[in-house]
Order: sequence, then structure tokens, then C-alpha cells
Amino acid sequence: MFQKIVEERIYSLLVLLLFVCIVASLVFPATFPTFENFSQILLNLSIDTIVAVGMMLLLISGAFDLSVGSVVAFAGCLTAFLLQTFGLPLPVAIGVGLLGSLFIGLVNGYLIAYKDINPMIQTLAMMGIVRGLALMLSGSGVQNLPYWFNAIGQSKLLGIQMPIWYMLFTVLVFTVLLNKTVLFRQYYYIGGNEKAADLSGIRVKKMKMIGFIISATLAGVAGILLSSRLGAALPTMGRGLELRVITAVILGGASLSGGYGKIPGALLGALFMGIVANIMVIARVSGYWQEIILGVILITTLGIDKALQKKYTGSN
Amino acid sequence: MTQLKLTGISKTFPGVRALDRVDLTILPGEIHALCGENGAGKSTLMNILVGNLQPDEGTIILNNAPVIFSKPQQAIEFRIAIVYQQLSLIDSLNVAENIFANQQPVNVWGLIGFNELYKKATSLLRQLDLDEINPRTLVSKLSPAQKQMVEIAKALSKKPSILILDEPTASLTEKETKTLFNILQNLKGQGTSIIYISHRLEEIFLLADRISILKDGKHQGTFLKQDITKDELIKRMVGREIKALKVEGHSRDEILLSVKNITGKRFHNVTFELRRGEILGLSGLVGAGRTEIARAVFGVDSIDSGEIILRGKTLKIKHSSDAISHGMAYVPEERKRLGLFSEMSIQDNIIAGKLSNAVSGRFYSSTKARTLAENSKTKLNIAAPGVHQRVVNLSGGNQQKVVLAKWLLTNPEVLIVDEPTHGIDVGAKFEIYEILNLLAEQGKGIIMISSDLPELLGICDRIVVIKMGEVKGELSRRDATEEKIMAMVSN
Repeated sequence: MFQKIVEERIYSLLVLLLFVCIVASLVFPATFPTFENFSQILLNLSIDTIVAVGMMLLLISGAFDLSVGSVVAFAGCLTAFLLQTFGLPLPVAIGVGLLGSLFIGLVNGYLIAYKDINPMIQTLAMMGIVRGLALMLSGSGVQNLPYWFNAIGQSKLLGIQMPIWYMLFTVLVFTVLLNKTVLFRQYYYIGGNEKAADLSGIRVKKMKMIGFIISATLAGVAGILLSSRLGAALPTMGRGLELRVITAVILGGASLSGGYGKIPGALLGALFMGIVANIMVIARVSGYWQEIILGVILITTLGIDKALQKKYTGSN
Repeated sequence: MTQLKLTGISKTFPGVRALDRVDLTILPGEIHALCGENGAGKSTLMNILVGNLQPDEGTIILNNAPVIFSKPQQAIEFRIAIVYQQLSLIDSLNVAENIFANQQPVNVWGLIGFNELYKKATSLLRQLDLDEINPRTLVSKLSPAQKQMVEIAKALSKKPSILILDEPTASLTEKETKTLFNILQNLKGQGTSIIYISHRLEEIFLLADRISILKDGKHQGTFLKQDITKDELIKRMVGREIKALKVEGHSRDEILLSVKNITGKRFHNVTFELRRGEILGLSGLVGAGRTEIARAVFGVDSIDSGEIILRGKTLKIKHSSDAISHGMAYVPEERKRLGLFSEMSIQDNIIAGKLSNAVSGRFYSSTKARTLAENSKTKLNIAAPGVHQRVVNLSGGNQQKVVLAKWLLTNPEVLIVDEPTHGIDVGAKFEIYEILNLLAEQGKGIIMISSDLPELLGICDRIVVIKMGEVKGELSRRDATEEKIMAMVSN
């Protein structure tokens, strides 16, 4: 039992989360353990988590994508631009916004998988290009978006904000895909040993490209959702989101060298960061300290994790 | 002038006695050839000599004083240098920086003196008759032969009194080999002792003053060159004892796979046939192109011309997945790098060849995968507490059985195994022979690449000998002897 907790980050993170929540509830009984507070925490991390699901998939396969933050802005701005300037019907505008994001993922994936460009360089370059496109499309931002567009992200179901439902749906779908389908399980093998995977008949290049397409498309979903929630599309949306998401996914059990991680870990990692940030706000910790504390938490968690694994599994 | 004396050196690895009380004396200024088959213990002995490995017992005496090398740097201090078979150069640095790696000349400011560096490199290269190599060229731009020569220059930059060369001519042309021999003769004239390891017996007789022979980790004697003939030398090297394998041929008449005139980067015009129920050996020196041929047949590397025909149908293979769907399987050499998902479980490894085997209903079922993996584990006798164990924690033999189990689940007609028993203990070796034998009995065709001659002779129905990318000949089980194969590959 204890060994399972140590070996699987999902369980150890869950235990840690429970512990943090209990302590916070005891210290701030009036403000922390309330329905409003938790639904606010979840709402705040819903956009990040949708992106994190795609990032988790990429990290399992041994790659990552730095352009997701820019794609969030691009997808939101493109959709809003089409709605406002051309008055396109809502489904068409959203469809084009998603296709645009998919195309960015296709370019990333094709160049990385088939042309051997380093993922970090490729997506770093794409991060700048796509941010520029978002600025071109929206200028200083697009406001006064149609009612039905805003309804996507601002309505509630069963008293819970829609973005939270979208997030849970995404996590659920991809959890099933990665655990239960032959196609997606291949990502674990690619991350585990790319050469052996190729010799085992896995089409590594194609799968890698698909990974980048999924990651960018999910970022597109997140971008459209974010502008709907804000009722506006801003070219600055999603700044720094890529690093926040990678942090969450690493906390959630992924490894930069690939092969490890589970989709629910993306949610738990984001949740952990969200709760810690929330507690610091409640405790009136200054904004400067919040960043420092989050960084320290990341390093300590990984350090303890490594030490425990060494002790209990006898390997590094 | 340095005299080196090894006495009673023994080294045991799990399951293998690699060296058994070996005595060896290297005189100052001699070229001493070290012969023996793959697995005879040559590399282990040299690794002990340069401090990469520590002997279990025995002493190394250098100039009448015993020494202990616990790390490679210490051997360098005693001016023992080795040129490895596998290159140790860094592609992204230039020739001079590689030669003087970690010993670059510094100027008065404590910074690297690049002028001095290039001057020293140029003079060293000239001494080696390598004027055509510019010391500022990146190593990645050099040919394999030039890399080998730079490697030798790197060893010489340490001004060794004992220089060890491990198969240095494997990638050299005839002309370069001649140059190398001249250099070695010069060094010998200056008093450097040279230990020369090679499979090419002609070279040995051309170059060496004395010849030592190892077999099964045991020293078989040291001879002056003029006191031994080539036939005698081969006789002393071979005949390594291998417990009799009770293998009867299962070969049937039906031709399963036919490879016709295939040509690729490292092989030319290769033709052979594989029958149902047959174990076909591919023999040859390391680097002869055996692995490249296997990879081409499996579709990993492309071929420029020729045909691969499986059960009468010409195959168009673009990716290993095509080969697998046609019923082929390939157990690669270097199982850690190419064969295993080390951090993953036995179960995940075994199912990797055909994930769809574990589908129940529409979804991947880890319960089904576990059942399949547990069956394989029992069938192949994989020693591990459970199938959830990560393969990194298994012994080499059990790891290899995991790779085999993976391929057996794809139900192949043709199984290619590349050095399947490399680095695994004797017991596991025999289990693997038995598995291969059983598969042949079931009518599958097996292509086995191995550098272990007794092993090939023990279980193969036929042996195709490959030399420098070409088929040199074919021997049936009845005709094949180690002497014949050695003569074919080393001439």
C-alpha cells in the first residue's frame, strides 16, 4: 500500500492534496472549505487543465510544446475576429478557430517528427509566430462578442460553471483513451524507448505528429473557452501558460525524458498548484512570495519523490 | 622502456568465468598479438589492463613493481593507452580538440592555447602520415577510416609506453592498414610495446613478434611468430567446449523466405534462402554487414535493389509494422538500446509487439495483457516475481526472454535473432537455444546472427558466411567447422 503511494505520483499527490486541504480547512475554516471557494479554484484552473491534458500526452511520448500559450490567444482571437468582422455563424467561427489550432499542431508535429527539428526549438519559434498572428488578428483585442458565444463559458450546469464540466470531460476522455485504447497506449512505448518502439512496429513519426496536433487543438479549445468566459479575445491571453502547464504536468507525475505519467495527473498537478495559490491569497501572502513558494514546492516535491523511490524500489 | 607482467588474472561475471588464471608478459618494444574467438576473454583482459575492470585475483606488475588500477586515469598515468573498437570521438568537436581532449595546452593566462593546440595536432597527424586531415575539421565530417586514425592519434598524444589496439583495421582500407602498420613498426622502434588484438590472422603474422592465444578465458600459450603456423593457431583458438545440443534438423523443403540480390549501404548483392523449419546462421566478423542485412529484410533500412520474397510473394516493406503484419519478427542486437522498454514492466514489454492482442471488446484490457504475459512468463521460464516487475531489474538472460516473448506473441513465420545470447549466462543461453529449436520444430524459419561460432555450429542447419557485405559462401551443418569459417572470414 505504502509502496504503491510512493511509486505512483497520482496517489502520493492525492495524499498530499488531502493533507494540505485539511490543514487549510483547520486554519481558515470560514474561507477555505466552502463550495464557492472550490468552484472558484476549479474555474480558475479549468483552462490550464485542458491544455495540460495535451501536454501530459506529449510528455508521456517524450516531447513537449512551448507554443500552447500562444495558440490559446490565437484560437480565441481568430474565432472572435471571424464573429465580429465577418459575422460568421457561431459553429463555423469556432470550427475555423479549432482548425487553425490543429494546423499549427500539424506544422509543429510534421517538422519535429519527420524533419528531426528539436521540439524545444520548433515550438519556441512557433510560440513567437503564433503570438504575432494573434496580435495581427485582434489588434488590441476584440470585445462585445455575441451572446451565445459568451454563453459557452459563462453558463452553469447543476450549479457548476461550464468550463469545469468541459475540463472534467476532457480529462475523462483522454484518461480512457490513454488507458484503454491500443492507439494511444503506444505513446508510453514511444516515450519509454523510441528506437525499440519503432522496431516493435509502432509508427513513431506518425504518432508523434498526432501528439502535437492533439496538444495544439486542445490549446485551441482552451483559447475559445477563455475568450468566451472573458467575453473578449485578447492577444495577451495565455502568456506564460506553457510553463505553468508544464509545471503542473511534471508535478502530476510526468518526466521530461518520457514514458511516465497518467492523464489524471495533469488535473491533480493543476489542482495542487491552484489550491496552494488559493491558500496563499487567503493568507494574504504577497504576490512576489507566491511565485517563489510555487517554485520551491516543485523542486522539493520532485526531490522527495526521487529519494523515496530510491529507498523503496531500489532503483533510480 | 616498460615491461608488463600479468600473473594469475581471474575475473568472474555472473554465470561466466571470463578469465581463468591468465599469465601474460609483454616485453619492451614488442608487438604482441592477442588472439581468440569472441568471448574468449580478450576484451575483459584489456579492460582490466586499462583500469575499467578490476580482477578478482592476480597481479599486474609494471617494471617490477605491482600496480593496482582502480580507475582509467591511473592507467593513463602509467602511460598505458588503448584504442577502442567502438569509437570514443565527439562528433561535434574538431580533430585537434578530440585528440587533446582534457589535455589541451594552456597559455600564460590559463586559457586554451589554440595556436599551440593546432600546431601540436598538425605535427602529430604528420607523424601518422595523415597530412590530408585538417586538425580544424569536425570529426563528423571524417570517414570511418579517418576517425579510426584520429582515434589512434588521440591514444598516441598521451605518449604511451604500452599501446593497446582492439581490431583497429576493421574499418580501414588496405592502404590505410599499411600506413598503420608502418606507424606501429616505427613506434616499436622507439621502444613502445604494442598489444594488438585482431581476428585477421594474416595481419597478425605480418605484424606481430609474439602471439598469445586465449580460449574460454584460459591462456593457451604464447609463441614466437616463426614457431607457429596459421593452422596451428586456428586449432588452438577454436574447439571451445560447448555442451552438446541435442538438435536434429527440422528443415523442410518449402522455401519460406527468399532474399534475392539485395544491395544496400553496407552490403552488396546478397542472396540466400530460408526454408520452413530451418535455423540459418549468418556468420562473419563484427562490422561485416550481418546486422544491416537483417535490418533490411525486416524493413527498418531501405534497400537500393533486389527482392525479398516471403512464401512466394514479393514484399514491399516500408516500416517494421509491414514486416510484422507479414509474419516477420526481429530480435535486435544491443537489447537494452533497441529491444527493451527498460523502465516498463515485463507485461508492457511482452505485449508491445502486438498491443491489439490485449483488446477485449473494443478496449485495451490490462487484465488480458497480464494473462498473456503470465502465460509467456511460464512458457519461456522467465525468472521474476511477477509480470509487473520492471525489466531493468532482470538479468540479461531473462531480459532476452522477454524480448523473445514479445515476438512470439505476434506469431511470426520468420524470426530473425541478432546476437541473441550476447552477454547472458550459460544456463539462459541453453534455454534460448531450446526455444529456437522448438520454434524450428513448429515449422518457423529462423535466421540467427551470432559471433559465437560454436553456438552457430551447434544449432544451425546451414551457415551463410558474410564478409565485407557480401556472401562469401555457404556451409551445411555436415561440412561446417570452425576452421573453415575462420578461414573464410579472416582471409
